[in-house]
Amino acid sequence: MEHLAIGFQNVLTPGTLFWVTVGVTLGYVLGALPGLGKATGVAIAIPMTFYLPPVAAIAMLIGIAKGSAAGSAVSAILLNTPGEPSSAPTALDGYPLARQGKAQKALKMGLFASVIGDFLSTLILIALAAPLARYALLIGPVELCSVLLFSLTFIGSLAGRSMLKGMIAAAFGVFFATIGIETETFIPRLTFGMLELDDGISLVPMAIGMLAVAEMVIQAGNMRNLDREAAEIDDSTRPEDRRVTLAEWRRCLPVIGRGTLIGAVVGILPGLGASVGSFLSYGATQRSSKTPEKFGTGMIEGVAAAESADNAVVPSSFVPLFALGIPGSVIAAILIAALVLHGLTPGPMMFIEQPQMVADLYAAMLCASGILLLVGYAGQRIFAQVIRVPIRLIIPVVLFLCCIGAYMNTNSLFSIYLMLAFALLGFFARKLEFSFVTFLIGFVIGPNLELTFRQSLQLLDHDPMRLAAHPIALLFGLLTVVTVVWIGRSNRRLAAQRSARPRAGTDAPAEQSHT
Amino acid sequence: MKRADLVSGLVLAAFGVVMLAVVIPAQIEPAPDGYVSPRLVPNLAMIVIVALSLLLVLQSLPKSEETPKAGTPVFFARDWVALAKISGVFAASLVLFWLGSPLAAGAVLIAGTLLLLGERRPVILVGMPAGLLLAVWALFYKLLGTVIL
Repeated sequence: MEHLAIGFQNVLTPGTLFWVTVGVTLGYVLGALPGLGKATGVAIAIPMTFYLPPVAAIAMLIGIAKGSAAGSAVSAILLNTPGEPSSAPTALDGYPLARQGKAQKALKMGLFASVIGDFLSTLILIALAAPLARYALLIGPVELCSVLLFSLTFIGSLAGRSMLKGMIAAAFGVFFATIGIETETFIPRLTFGMLELDDGISLVPMAIGMLAVAEMVIQAGNMRNLDREAAEIDDSTRPEDRRVTLAEWRRCLPVIGRGTLIGAVVGILPGLGASVGSFLSYGATQRSSKTPEKFGTGMIEGVAAAESADNAVVPSSFVPLFALGIPGSVIAAILIAALVLHGLTPGPMMFIEQPQMVADLYAAMLCASGILLLVGYAGQRIFAQVIRVPIRLIIPVVLFLCCIGAYMNTNSLFSIYLMLAFALLGFFARKLEFSFVTFLIGFVIGPNLELTFRQSLQLLDHDPMRLAAHPIALLFGLLTVVTVVWIGRSNRRLAAQRSARPRAGTDAPAEQSHT
Repeated sequence: MKRADLVSGLVLAAFGVVMLAVVIPAQIEPAPDGYVSPRLVPNLAMIVIVALSLLLVLQSLPKSEETPKAGTPVFFARDWVALAKISGVFAASLVLFWLGSPLAAGAVLIAGTLLLLGERRPVILVGMPAGLLLAVWALFYKLLGTVIL
């Protein structure tokens, strides 16, 4: 608590607050633009924080993540095109509200629900991460290896529609993480004689290429559709259509509470992601409503449910990152690079070695929630105009920023080549539905997985029977197998249902692939 | 998508086999005595990739009772056009960078992309590159006080 008070003193300075505000504003704008999510924003911005003090730098990146999580509701409500997949349920009721001329009301409720969900979930992170980390310190390499393997399998199985593709992507991520000089024998691996690869592939150009550049190529291909949707936005001038009424607040507050809880739980479990949280919350709200049939036609509760859960996922997804060093989401994976760069290695030891830095981070996260409310409320009309900007004007700006971000990582063209190579890989991964999220998480987990695996081999003396002395490792090994079988079966059932529907001749109007 | 899965599964399986048989042995030396082989994890990752890719191929093979379907197309002409345009702009920009003009490289990247994506207004074509380059200069060289090139 004492650390947290000092943390607020460190964060509540004009300099840090300025960079948090810049981060939140930038994130809000990026989130509002379809396709440019929080991960893209953070990946591009990491190199720009090289020259900022650690607290300001991390606070700015967290501001971007929080801002874009909230901003993605703007395009979902106004364009029916979610800025991120997790805002898709927001569009189900937000877009009908916008078509009725109640866009301002929907945007405001989206913002309030986002801020409340985000703030409460940050408190959950603060309450849970440190106690969990204490338990994490008790586990050894064998247990950690099995936990990492379970997390990666779990994430790979859940990402996208195909478990096989998710796991192939995860294996590729681990494989790319092995490039560079091996730390035990100092033997270069797959460097092809290039000195630039001796330290391995840097996460920053890789993430920028896979997330941002690849997305821009896809957006360039889909340019006409996006511009046409932006031209069809309508807005009412009636005051009651532009604000959230007291009656609506009464109906929405319990919905926001439930959404926050669902989002926080989903965030803590590695790999489920914000989309699962927002859809679960939307579904739970619809089921508990007295008028479930009205959902999808412009129910404000739908917006509140989806946005509160979507934003609650972001802070709580840092729980496994802070407590165990395991990134539960792509944003957490990318933030690892930023945290390490600024002197904070995520994992249980950071609570012992750098408690003040952790407290600064918590204080920055709480301040970012408040700034998100101010920036979002004051700038809502402006942000709503951002999505009217034709995508052909946005793509060159993003590509330019990507190049600067990648170049600054090593101050050499090699980073740009890496960025372009991974952009191409990201383009094909997206089109062929191989999860680039799993790939990136595999890449981030890779070195730790390899290290603990090697240590486990030595500790167990290459004898699997000695695993009997490690019940936690056995439990997670079993969980890995159960997860693969269970998710594999449910995926097969879903695929069979999908292929059976058209054959049976059902018209299945507007079938939406929510899961 | 099934046909795309079939092709991508075959390509990935072939890639994995080449990596296992040729690239990894050629590019990673064996470990000295007493050490765990540095080839171990790359090999394991590739074995997993080959195995899963073959499963993907098997899963994507049309069943005998099914009539072969073309499936939903994955790539459209507009995707290839966009990829070609953006690749072209990056290539031109990199050439200019090699020739020693990072400023021109940046300007070409922005103006070239604008032009290829259909922007024709001279004010935008000139103003946006100039404005962005100026903004980056102001941010790094003035506000943050650092040199990036």
